[in-house]
Amino acid sequence: MTCKLVRRHLGAFIDGELDPASQIEFERHLEACPVCQEHLAFERSFRQQAREAIIDVHAPEHLWSRTLHRFDEIDATRAERTLIEARPMRWRQTWPIAAAAAAVLIIGSVMGLPESTAYQGAGMLQDVVNLHSQALPSDVRAEAPQDVVRYFQGKTPFPVKPARFAEPGMKFVGARYIKVGAHPAAALYYNHQGRRVTLLVFQSPDMVRNAHRTHVGGRELFYYNVGGNVVTIRQHGGVNYAFFGDLDRPVLFQLAASARVAY
Amino acid sequence: MPGKSKKVEAQRRLFEAEARPHLDTLYSMALRLTRSPVDAEDLVQDTLVRAYRFYDRFEAGTNFKAWLLRIQMNSFVNRYRRTSRERQVFDGPMATPVGEGVMSRATMRGLTDPVGDAERQLIAQEIRRAFDELSDEARAMVMLADVEELSYKEIAEVVGCPIGTVMSRLHRARKQLQVSLQAHAVQLGIIEEDDGDVADPIPLEAFRARKEAKS
Repeated sequence: MTCKLVRRHLGAFIDGELDPASQIEFERHLEACPVCQEHLAFERSFRQQAREAIIDVHAPEHLWSRTLHRFDEIDATRAERTLIEARPMRWRQTWPIAAAAAAVLIIGSVMGLPESTAYQGAGMLQDVVNLHSQALPSDVRAEAPQDVVRYFQGKTPFPVKPARFAEPGMKFVGARYIKVGAHPAAALYYNHQGRRVTLLVFQSPDMVRNAHRTHVGGRELFYYNVGGNVVTIRQHGGVNYAFFGDLDRPVLFQLAASARVAY
Repeated sequence: MPGKSKKVEAQRRLFEAEARPHLDTLYSMALRLTRSPVDAEDLVQDTLVRAYRFYDRFEAGTNFKAWLLRIQMNSFVNRYRRTSRERQVFDGPMATPVGEGVMSRATMRGLTDPVGDAERQLIAQEIRRAFDELSDEARAMVMLADVEELSYKEIAEVVGCPIGTVMSRLHRARKQLQVSLQAHAVQLGIIEEDDGDVADPIPLEAFRARKEAKS
């Protein structure tokens, strides 16, 4: 046991992190070596002084309450998610009606979130159709768009704004938090000349993998044929916007292409 | 909160009870890492929100404080993205060489027993300054070991490196702190100038002879 070795590992010795055999050897050496003893005394004292100099910081009072507020938001999202997940059977029952009645238009973009292979695009398409025909009530009304933005804060992992349309016949009605497959989503409800249109906003990769592709008004659109109607997907800026309406294909395509999803 | 389930409520209560006692620890760690009270608050809040989200992944029976600190360390690294470069400076060829006999015995004595409160406070102030000049990683090492008094194994988990690496990084961090402190303390006249009496390891022969004489 050399002084060099002892001094090199003096810190670990004080921390009690040496194996028992080395610990005993170190103690023996230190007993016999006054210079190493001095080093030991210094290391101990220095550590104490450093501790006293650095410690003594208290968190500000408001930090905890500020954090609790964020927990409230998480709890609210969790509670809603539980409610929605508890009702998958009712959606499924409405599937035949929905398929007959609905055209689906998904406008959106895709972010690189990993997705389990168990839930493929087809399942999500069905969800989109079901969610429209279910016509769940709005949680937040259309009167103030900033209320909609605020409502989705902390619920969806992306900011949600109601898409805007040049066409005056397209009226925003309301919105609610929902899930498409396993993805948190915003459902935005519109009315187009008396017909309901649902816009679903969510993040999902692979959603357009097997889709048809077309261009309308300079926009790239993807679409699926579902039960005689059509799901159209637009990718833009990192968020999915999903429409669902009882409209003819050209009208849906036109709406999808002209929607201002980011502003 | 409408529709808030019993399970969510119970989980929330449990988490609050477990996390609240560590708020000061998280904050002081965050403050030393970010060097800014505003950033520190944000970092702590991020950490707690993340921990609450992933609370079900916490293994019961393991060290909750270490778990929180690991989350905070990761958040910090992700937010500032400087560690890979710093690590090179800290561990790589650029690392400041710190030997064993860097401090004279006179210096050591001066720092071991500061005379009077004034000197003590002056040294404390200099330690804080030297500490703030350390790299992020070195500061974290000193904080975790000397202030939070975590074991090497826990530090390894928090920082995400092997235990052997903890030992060498911690050693280097403490030495850097001491060297920086020494330079300033001499300048300020807190301790005497290095008189060249560097604490060389005593020759092995002399040591053996003394050991023999003792037994």
